[in-house]
Amino acid sequence: MITVEKILLEFDPEQKNLLSALKKINAGFGYVGEEEAQKTADYFSIPFSKVYETASFYDLVKTKKQPDLVIQVCSGANCAVKSGFKVIREIESQLRIKAGDDFNPKVKLEIISCLGQCGQGPVMVVNGNVFTKVTPSSVDDILRNYI
Amino acid sequence: MKKEIKIITKNWGRINPNQIEEYIAAGGYRALRKFVAEMSPQSVLEEIKTSGLCGRGGAGFPTGRKLECVASEKSKEKYFICNLDESEPGTYKDRSIVDNDPHMLLEGIIIGALAVGARKAFIYINGNYQKEIEILERAVEQAQEKDFIGENILGSKYGLEMELFAGAGAYICGEETALINSIEGNRGEPKARPPYPTQCGLFGQPTAINNAETITNIPWIIENGGKAYAKIGSKKSPGTKLFIVNGAVENPDVFEAPLGIKLVDLIGKYAGGIQAGKDFWFAQIGGSSGRLAMEKDLKLKLEYDCEAKIPLGSGAVLVVDKTADIHELLLSWTGFFRRESCGKCVPCREGTFRLWEIAKRLQDGEVSERDVAAIQDILWTLNNTTFCPLGKFAATAFSDALDNFRDEIYKISK
Repeated sequence: MITVEKILLEFDPEQKNLLSALKKINAGFGYVGEEEAQKTADYFSIPFSKVYETASFYDLVKTKKQPDLVIQVCSGANCAVKSGFKVIREIESQLRIKAGDDFNPKVKLEIISCLGQCGQGPVMVVNGNVFTKVTPSSVDDILRNYI
Repeated sequence: MKKEIKIITKNWGRINPNQIEEYIAAGGYRALRKFVAEMSPQSVLEEIKTSGLCGRGGAGFPTGRKLECVASEKSKEKYFICNLDESEPGTYKDRSIVDNDPHMLLEGIIIGALAVGARKAFIYINGNYQKEIEILERAVEQAQEKDFIGENILGSKYGLEMELFAGAGAYICGEETALINSIEGNRGEPKARPPYPTQCGLFGQPTAINNAETITNIPWIIENGGKAYAKIGSKKSPGTKLFIVNGAVENPDVFEAPLGIKLVDLIGKYAGGIQAGKDFWFAQIGGSSGRLAMEKDLKLKLEYDCEAKIPLGSGAVLVVDKTADIHELLLSWTGFFRRESCGKCVPCREGTFRLWEIAKRLQDGEVSERDVAAIQDILWTLNNTTFCPLGKFAATAFSDALDNFRDEIYKISK
């Protein structure tokens, strides 16, 4: 069983390890909640607010529990000229959600920034799995495996 | 066409990036041996200064001068940071360096760090680059086994520790003071300069921060001399540069070309020209923060020059043809900066948000007179009052688009 304590013990309690520790907790639990943040604060001997301040800034560290299905689509200019926005609209209409909405406990559609795979855009990430050269018509095939 | 000069890409596709032996067999780590055996840190700095090498991250600051500033500081503790937090949309040159030839980058870091007197080097890598993190971890391990990193490098008095630090997905952390904040465990917000990181950087100590591509040039300069490097490319900014050409071209890829190349040659000779059946509309130079080059700008030289009409930025070139939807591009640019604005200063935090809202209304065709007037105000504010250059970048492409395609942008709105 992974516990926050075990993860924390892998790091020296210096502030330069804070972000790495938060990322590791995030990887283990899916997010850094209040309880985890409090334990981190105690371990590093810094205020709870300091931990939250750092954790809430970065995209790769979440402070809230994430839905089971997280879909991310790149909207960088390179993906945009290859109909990236059409892919987003297709997902929105198929799942009846809006990009950026944060209240559905089951599914979330996020627009993200460049992942550095511009040669193969549009890029779509579903629960961490990257799909390249997505087209509005291939969205259905990809999502079917996750619903 | 003249014989191609390859500096950074000379081993690409020819060696296995996971095998240090193959890099050594291809002439790798010769520059480090030369430095340890017969050169002093001062002479390395002299060579880099002579070469005219300047920062490849976008600002184009002379690397030699930056390193010299750090070297001249008296502090005992100094740091050297390789900035690999590449998150400019459309840019993946540093990722390609790691994918193809990580040891050339490491060799550059080692020489650069030792030249400024740092005993600890960090590689700040984009947190999304999982595969590249693994490649670099392996490469550092192999270099340690071969005695290129660690105590008494190659039996000399030099010692260097190297640490890989993965970011957590924030564009602003490519800015050097924000990057320092991020390593220190803080929010990645930029700090006021001066003091510059060269005097008071990581943990309050002098710190040299350089882009990964800049550093990768160092081994070649040490081996062949700064004078030879200064002969390549343009007079104002010598050397070669990685260009990432994407969009409506036949052969999108990363190309190494001498600086000073004309845009039309880059697209025509390197990227195979515009895709058949498509018409050139404009090209965006330097990622989402870059300016737009119209057809009349095709003859412009791409080089680092503070007076250049079109700054080169990261070297990303996005070729846009006439089938593209300008409203989607506006939404892409404004959405990106809205997400990535760190929130420290009000003009940028609010300005990027409002601009994004207007871009959405423009796409829906619901833009009002008030919006049209507001756009000018917001763009001026972003351009003139933000704390760090991110706000300025957010306004660049939008202003250019507005100057050139006013009619297309407002066409659908009543």
